[in-house]
Amino acid sequence: MTGAAACLAGFEGISVVIHGSSGCYYYPATLLHTPLYGTFILENEVIFGSRDRLREVIDSLSGKSDQIAVVTTCVPSALGEDIRELVSGGSGLIVVDSPGFAGEMEEGHRAAIAALGPRVNPEQPGVNIDGISLADPFHEGNFQEVSRLLHRTGIPVGTVFCRDHAEKAKAASPFTIGTNEDLGSGVGKYLGGTLGIPALRTTFGRLSEIFDHADVDTAFKELDRQEERLIHAGDKFLRRYEPPRVAVFAGAAYALFAAETLKRYLDAEIVVVGTRNDPPEKPGGQYRVEKLSGLEEVSRRIAESDPDLVIGSSFEHSLCPDRAFAGIIPPFRGQVRLAHYPLAGTGGSLFFVESVLNACMDRVP
Amino acid sequence: MSLNHLPASSYRTEGCTLTGALSVTTQIRDAITVVHGPSGCTHHNFSLLHATSLDHDRVAIPPIISSGLSETEVVFGGEGALDRTLDRAISREPAAIFVLSTCIAETIGDDVAAVCNAKVGVPVIVIPTAGFLGGSFQTGVNNALVALAGMAEPSPGRKGQVNIIGEKNLEYEVDENFAEVTRLLSLLDLSVSTRFVHNLTAEEIRSVGAARLNVLRDPSLIPVGEYCKERFDIPYISGFPVGLSGTITFLESVGAACAIDPRPAIEAEHSFEQETLGDFADIAGHEISFSSLFPVQDGERAVRDIARAFRLDVIPSGTPVPVPVTPPVGITGVRRMLHRWRRAIHA
Repeated sequence: MTGAAACLAGFEGISVVIHGSSGCYYYPATLLHTPLYGTFILENEVIFGSRDRLREVIDSLSGKSDQIAVVTTCVPSALGEDIRELVSGGSGLIVVDSPGFAGEMEEGHRAAIAALGPRVNPEQPGVNIDGISLADPFHEGNFQEVSRLLHRTGIPVGTVFCRDHAEKAKAASPFTIGTNEDLGSGVGKYLGGTLGIPALRTTFGRLSEIFDHADVDTAFKELDRQEERLIHAGDKFLRRYEPPRVAVFAGAAYALFAAETLKRYLDAEIVVVGTRNDPPEKPGGQYRVEKLSGLEEVSRRIAESDPDLVIGSSFEHSLCPDRAFAGIIPPFRGQVRLAHYPLAGTGGSLFFVESVLNACMDRVP
Repeated sequence: MSLNHLPASSYRTEGCTLTGALSVTTQIRDAITVVHGPSGCTHHNFSLLHATSLDHDRVAIPPIISSGLSETEVVFGGEGALDRTLDRAISREPAAIFVLSTCIAETIGDDVAAVCNAKVGVPVIVIPTAGFLGGSFQTGVNNALVALAGMAEPSPGRKGQVNIIGEKNLEYEVDENFAEVTRLLSLLDLSVSTRFVHNLTAEEIRSVGAARLNVLRDPSLIPVGEYCKERFDIPYISGFPVGLSGTITFLESVGAACAIDPRPAIEAEHSFEQETLGDFADIAGHEISFSSLFPVQDGERAVRDIARAFRLDVIPSGTPVPVPVTPPVGITGVRRMLHRWRRAIHA
C-alpha cells in the first residue's frame, strides 16, 4: 500500500486516497511528506460496506485535482468490495488494490504504475528517468543528480517516474534510464542504470548512440575525473587500514551498488549481501546475494559474519551500534537530514564512498 | 478487562488501537509482543517505535514479532500462523508474551484467545486491540495498561512512593515531562516508584501495586486509574500539571492525597512562576494566533490562560505561534513553549 501511495502521490494532479483505517493512513502520511487523503473507515463500514464513506471522501476532493487514485488497504481488500463499482460514475478514477498482505513495497509501486497506464509518445524528445519514489530518502537527490548529468550532455529529461505531472505519464519518451532498478517503470526502452560509475559509462554510451547531438564526452570526462577522486580516496585509506569486511542490507539495486562500489574502490570483503526484496536472478559479482525477510535473520547473519562495516538502515545500525555504519535505505532514524543526497550519478558514488570512509575512520582505534 | 468503545463511539482520526497498545507493551524490555496480522502492520509500528527510541537516545530494537499474514492466511485462516509465531516467541524465553490482534485478523475471525490459551511455560497475555475495529489509539493504551496491571498483586501495608501511569511514550518530550513531574514531586519530598509503563522489566511491573499514589498522564486514563484504585486501593490524580495555575493545583492535589502540607512547595513554585514571567516580559503586548497541525487536545483553555498571563492578545490575524498537541506540562513545559513563541514573534 505504501509503495503504491508513494508512486501515485509523486504525480502532480493526482489526489491519493488511502482507503482504510486511520492506522493504515498514518504510516504513508508520515513517511512520504506529501498530502494524502484517507477514508478512515470504522467498524460500521466494515459491517455494512464502505461505499458511502468512499463516495463521501471522493466527492469532497472534487475540483482539487485532475484525478483521484484510491489505494486499498487490507480490510477493504479482504472484504472484496468492488471499488470501481462502488464509485461508478467517477471518470478518471485510478484504483490500486494493494493490501499490505499482498507483498512488499516494490509490488505496490509496480501495481500503481500499471494502474496509472503510462504510455510512450514516439515523438516525445529526451529520456525518462525512473526508479524515483517518494518513499526513498534519496529520491530527490537522485532526480537532481541525474537531471544535472543529462543537462550537461544536452539531453532533455522526459517523464520522471514517479515525480512529475500526471499528464506526462501519458506521453513519455521512448527511452528510459533508471536510478533504482527495484522500482523500474517498464516504460520505454531501458538504456541502463545510473548507480555507480561503470553503470553510468554503459548508460551514457548507449545514450550517445541514440542522441546524435548529445555532448556525452562532457559526461565521460566528469566520470573519469570523479572516479579518479574515488580511487585516490580509497588508496589513501588502504595505505593505513585493512579493507573493511562489509555486510550490506538494502533493496537489491542499492545493495548491489554498495557492494560493487566498495569492492571496486576499497577492495572490501563483502561478507553478506541481504536484500529486502527478491534479488535479480543473476546478480553477478563475487558474493552470494540472499533475501532476508526479517531482522532476526539480519541479526543472525551479522553475528555469523562479524563485519566491521554495516550498510543498511537504522534498524541494522541498532542491531550493532558499535560497528561502523552507513545508511542507504530507510529508515534513517535518530538523525536530522535536510539536504538532498543522491546515490545515483557521480554525486551518488562520491556521497556513498565519502560516508563509508568517514564511518570506517571514525571507528578505527 | 476490555475498555473497547462501542462502534458508534469511535472517531475516524483517533488512531490505531494496535499502535496505542504497542506503545505500552514494547516498553517491557524482556517481553515480546506478537502482532497477529500482515507484516505491514508490524513494520510501520516497528519503524515508529524505533524512531521514538532513537529520539530518546535509546538504541533499542522494539521486541515485536509479526505472524506475517499473507494472502493465503487471509483466505484460509491465520490461526496456524499465530501458533507458529507464538512457538517462535516462546523459544526466545521471554518473561512474558503479549498478543495483539489487528483489523484483518479480526475481520477474518481468527480465535486469538484460543490459540494463546493453549500455550504453557510463558505467560501469554492477549490484549484486546484489533486496529480500528477495537476502538482508538487511547483504547489500545488503556487496554494494555489494564492488562499489565493485572500482572501485579495488591500490596497491603505499602509505604511506597508515587507511580506515574500511562506516560505518552511516543511523545517527543516524554522524558522532559517526566522530569518536570519528578521535580514537582520532589518539592513535596516525594519520589517516583514506577513509571508504569516506561522502560521496565516484567518483574518491575509487580511493584506497581505498592505505591501510595498514582499520577495519571491525562484524564483519558481515568479508566486505568479506576482499575488500579479498585485492584490495589491506590488513589489517583487524574493528570499531569498543565500550565501555570494547573501546576499549583497539582501540588495542592498531591499534597492532599498524601497528607503533606503543600504550602512550602507552592511558595517555591510561585517564585519560579514570577521568574518566568520576567524572563519572557519582552513578548508582552504582541498579537498572536494559535497554529497546530492537529487538533489541540483539551488544552486550548490552558494555552489561552498562558497567553493571558504573559499579556499576549490572541486574535485571528495575530502571528501564528506553535501550539503543542498536548498542553505544556508544568512551568518548565510552559517555558519551552514560550521559547518557540518568542522565535515566531520575532521572526
